[in-house]
Amino acid sequence: MAPTDPGPGPVLVARKWVDRRPTVDLLTGEVSTDPRSSGASEADEAALEWGLRLAGVWGVGVLAVTAGPPDAEAVLRPALAAGAGGAVRIDLTSPPGHLAGGAPSSRAVASALALVARTAGSRMVLCGDLSLDRGSGAVPAFLAGELGAAQGLGLVSLAPDPDRPGHLGAWRRLDGGRREELALAPPWVCSVEGGTARLRRAELAGVLAAGRAPVEVVTAETSGPAPPHPARTGPGRPRTHLLTGPDPTADARHRILALTGALVERTPPLTLTLGPGEGADRILEALRAWGELPGEEFP
Amino acid sequence: MAEEFDVVVVGAGPAGSAAALVLARAGKSVCLLERGPFPGSKNMYGGVIYPRILDGLIPNWWEEAPVQRWVTRRATMVLTGTQSLTVDYRTEAWGRPPYNGATAYRPDFDAWLAGKAVEAGAVLACETTATGLLGAPGKGGIRGVRTDRPGGEIGARLVIACDGVNSLLAKEAGIYGKADPHHFTLGAKETLALPARVIEERFGLAEHEGADFEIVGCTEGVAGGGFLYTNRETVSVGVVLHLPELAASKKRPEEIIASMKANPVIAPLVAGGELVEYSAHLIPEGGWVMLPGLVADGMLVAGDAAALCLAAGIWLEGVNFAIGSGMAAGETALEALDSGNVSAPGLAGYRKRLEGNFVLADHRKLRRAPHLMLSDRVQHRYPQMICNLTEAMFTVTNPEPKKGILAHTRIEARRAGVRLGQLARDTASALRTYG
Ligand SMILES: Cc1cc2nc3c(=O)[nH]c(=O)nc-3n(C[C@H](O)[C@H](O)[C@H](O)COP(=O)(O)OP(=O)(O)OC[C@H]3O[C@@H](n4cnc5c(N)ncnc54)[C@H](O)[C@@H]3O)c2cc1C
Repeated sequence: MAPTDPGPGPVLVARKWVDRRPTVDLLTGEVSTDPRSSGASEADEAALEWGLRLAGVWGVGVLAVTAGPPDAEAVLRPALAAGAGGAVRIDLTSPPGHLAGGAPSSRAVASALALVARTAGSRMVLCGDLSLDRGSGAVPAFLAGELGAAQGLGLVSLAPDPDRPGHLGAWRRLDGGRREELALAPPWVCSVEGGTARLRRAELAGVLAAGRAPVEVVTAETSGPAPPHPARTGPGRPRTHLLTGPDPTADARHRILALTGALVERTPPLTLTLGPGEGADRILEALRAWGELPGEEFP
Repeated sequence: MAEEFDVVVVGAGPAGSAAALVLARAGKSVCLLERGPFPGSKNMYGGVIYPRILDGLIPNWWEEAPVQRWVTRRATMVLTGTQSLTVDYRTEAWGRPPYNGATAYRPDFDAWLAGKAVEAGAVLACETTATGLLGAPGKGGIRGVRTDRPGGEIGARLVIACDGVNSLLAKEAGIYGKADPHHFTLGAKETLALPARVIEERFGLAEHEGADFEIVGCTEGVAGGGFLYTNRETVSVGVVLHLPELAASKKRPEEIIASMKANPVIAPLVAGGELVEYSAHLIPEGGWVMLPGLVADGMLVAGDAAALCLAAGIWLEGVNFAIGSGMAAGETALEALDSGNVSAPGLAGYRKRLEGNFVLADHRKLRRAPHLMLSDRVQHRYPQMICNLTEAMFTVTNPEPKKGILAHTRIEARRAGVRLGQLARDTASALRTYG
């Protein structure tokens, strides 16, 4: 007996939650977010609308997913209200020894999304091509890599084949006003441009139900390599140096000169033209010479 | 019909959230509709809340309410272009629990209060505007609301309209007669950012303390008044302008604010402030004389929707009146739902509740205040007269001997074009109003 086709599963719509006006405590470096100033990008809104349209044509469900703290559910509730059948929030935790608080890498987010897609049996993923914080835009590509899926990135239009669930034509911009046409079959990961579809106004029943609907929370580790930035999430504090005070018997002018270092001969600024590797070595050498690397924390 | 609730509350301002909180706590199913993206997003006011009305509803509210500063300094100023007279009161008592007034941002305060209603079980639907009523008084009563969403009808045994000034729902229910623009003022304000330390130095405040200045004579000849309040890192400076006079003057509200900010008394207090917000809103200034019927079959009206904002010159209190009336509406609704009588007569207890507490008691007592405060003499003659009188009393004109206060008053009244009989009558009227 031939194996039955499991079908493409629900359309998974990934939505990036961003707080446009987070507050940073200048003393502790702690970042606090506010659901009132956060949301999803226009491209993510368009992706949700395309997801709902495709799902409507093929008679499948839509699963909205985001990665972030509980406040990030602010981008899932409107998706539920608009017609998504389920919502998942991925709580990304940092593995021990990792930098807490830094943004997880695109690869880490993609592998967490891939996990949700596999669990839900989804072979169709839609994202916006640009997030509100103008991130790297690399998540869809990493996700396609993780899922071994076809990629259609930066799309401007999608045309589902009503007879073959999961199959669609897709268009994206090329230079000179030309378009590239793609034919996609599941599994695929697509990202769409903002403004290509306007998110429908949710029905009242959907809005009322969305406020009470459960959001599934899954925990995933940011297992990918640590992002290069930020190297440290606390506030920058220069190292303390022990300075010997000026000679107390000197007059006020000399004490101020000694304290400020004015009129003292110093190494003039140096401009060097070096390759990246040599440049890094030279910077480390200078830091070492100035006593800024006492414990040699940086390899 | 999207869903049926015991009660639909329209508007998640202070009135609506207070009503929804009372009902949800009592176990009723409540839907709280808000047209803005979140409660408070659409709402503006001057800046001072008197939240003692919350004592019974949210014990120790001061430990969690999103307050900017506790008002410990309250000043009433009379300004002319070049003079000012200020009655300035300060007390440390207002800086300690249970406090008196607090400056707060409405997007913070309203969202906090609505959050309490949601915690208690109310269903909040934002970005949803009620566009009309289902049913009508006398024809089986009001049975819910229509909204601007697809499939947007919500059924309810009772509707509480808390949709603010110029309530379209109250009008549709026939609760209001024809609107009279003389009963409305336009409030406009600028929020100016300044470092906390600068605000504290300029206004003479400690870290969490705030100041509240009410000002007469700063509105470029348009009847109204001004205000200046301190938040943690901003000050709110604005004006309240009598609508028909503003229209007749052909002046823009922001021009009037600009001239107030340029006044030599105000300028040093706001200097260097960076404009972070400009907003404007109507105020149902008429108070008692514009009070509508407060109920219809299947409907109660609370807060500004029922014109319950108290605008009585030295007092501009709306948020506490909104909360007080919202709570009373919630309690009345509970009673009516339990007795099964939501007709207008079944809701008559609402007015009694409001008369039995500060809401209608204060309105009744101060019913002459809006008219007095917006009168020609108070607005256009007395500020100059009072400042001139004060200046004359404190100007030493030796070798001339000092004149008595009455002599100065006679001279300055004549200069201001005020007859002594009018002055006496206005004084008596002020005593009757505020006494
Ligand atoms: C310039 C100015 C200064 C003021 N200063 C002070 C002050 O310092 N202290 C003070 O206590 N009071 C002050 N007030 C008065 C105070 O703001 C109001 O009295 C108070 O906000 C009334 O509360 P409310 O809940 O009745 O109405 P609102 O606060 O107006 O709330 C109404 C809510 O209903 C929503 N809504 C409206 N229509 C609909 C609809 N059709 N469907 C769904 N939602 C809807 C609105 O978005 C809003 O959230 C001031 C007012 C102004 C304009």
